[in-house]
Amino acid sequence: MNGIHDLGGRHGMGPIDIDPGQPVFRADWERRMFAMFILAFAGGHFNVDQFRSAIEQMGPAEYLQSDYYEHWLHSLETWCKTNGSLTEQEIEDRMRELSKGGA
Amino acid sequence: MSEQDGHKHDHRPSDISLRVKAIESLLVEKGLIDPAAMDKLVDAYEHKIGPHNGARVVARAWSDPAFKQRLLGDGTAAIAELGFTGIQGEDMVVVENTPQVHNMVVCTLCSCYPWPTLGLPPNWYKAAPYRSRAVIDPRGVLREFGVEISASTEVRVWDSNAELRYLVLPQRPAGTEGLGEAALASLVTRDSMIGVGLPRTPEAGAKR
Amino acid sequence: MPTMFPAAAVDDLIKTGGSTRVNADVRPRFAPGARVLVRNINPVSHTRLPQYVRGKRGIVERDHGVFVFPDTNARLQGEKPQHVYSVMFSARELWGPEASEKDKLYIDLFDDYMDPIE
Repeated sequence: MNGIHDLGGRHGMGPIDIDPGQPVFRADWERRMFAMFILAFAGGHFNVDQFRSAIEQMGPAEYLQSDYYEHWLHSLETWCKTNGSLTEQEIEDRMRELSKGGA
Repeated sequence: MSEQDGHKHDHRPSDISLRVKAIESLLVEKGLIDPAAMDKLVDAYEHKIGPHNGARVVARAWSDPAFKQRLLGDGTAAIAELGFTGIQGEDMVVVENTPQVHNMVVCTLCSCYPWPTLGLPPNWYKAAPYRSRAVIDPRGVLREFGVEISASTEVRVWDSNAELRYLVLPQRPAGTEGLGEAALASLVTRDSMIGVGLPRTPEAGAKR
Repeated sequence: MPTMFPAAAVDDLIKTGGSTRVNADVRPRFAPGARVLVRNINPVSHTRLPQYVRGKRGIVERDHGVFVFPDTNARLQGEKPQHVYSVMFSARELWGPEASEKDKLYIDLFDDYMDPIE
């Protein structure tokens, strides 16, 4: 699709933020998100083309403004919901439980 | 999809950290994700797999002309001689910098990168500024990285849009004759193997 | 149905990965040296053909072999294995007469993305 992800040749995206000392994972949720994607892929939740396809269907503003691993979160959620492995209600309920329990 | 979960099309989830925790706990509870497997993966890519692997490939190529020829002819097989195989490195192509040609690698569509030799990509590689400009203004991008390529040198940009993964073989710096492979490897930076940097010189000192 | 991938298999997964190369006897449509015109396709579904090369003229540099075709695989409409080629475009072909006359862009294009230039 002719989505915002198709970035080659676009102008106006700003300077490159080189940030030389950055760690491999900048937060714990990035670590977990990275590993969950690999395991979900290896466990047959989606193929790599399906995974990328879901990222490409993100809203363009969200795509550009979000951190990289948020793209993976969006795709994982999309496929888990499509496959029936997760529902939005379950996710929200669990978030509420975890924050009450003082995560 | 957006109707299904009630999120607006451009809405970012609030509290990403809590959401990821919630999803992980649900998938583990349902027996779809093995938490021990999660820990093994994180450990491998955070602590073990990284550009020090690619640096050894480059140092071997600089030291051993026959290996270099194998590397340029079949990157996958030659890199496998050093054991750097696997996820996102299954089909490798190595491109050589010469005085006539400077190579640079990008993935304009997402973030494809050779994990077994370079580890996980830096954030700038995955973000819009590099992905958009590398193909249309590579010399401007190189300048942002502090590299000036002469007008008489051809710049080749490689867009990794399929499943081939690209590694740049930088030019061996002058004054390194007689250095062993370990010393040579310490001069090879991650950025020189992406093509946005040059290797260190012996005078500048090896990287920590 | 999705299954749980076990910890015991992680080391092997990391070392082996999952190549999308297909061991199928598929005839290539192009040989190295062939001049090609990239198709102006604009699917709403997934493709690995970026907009910036559509309708452009390039030269096939190398045949990488046969791989799964992402455009159909993303929709579970089959692997449709076909040849992938490294195709070279001059900067001026892509970006116009003000671009560098020396620089080049190499991109990996499937058989279904291109037509021959006679």
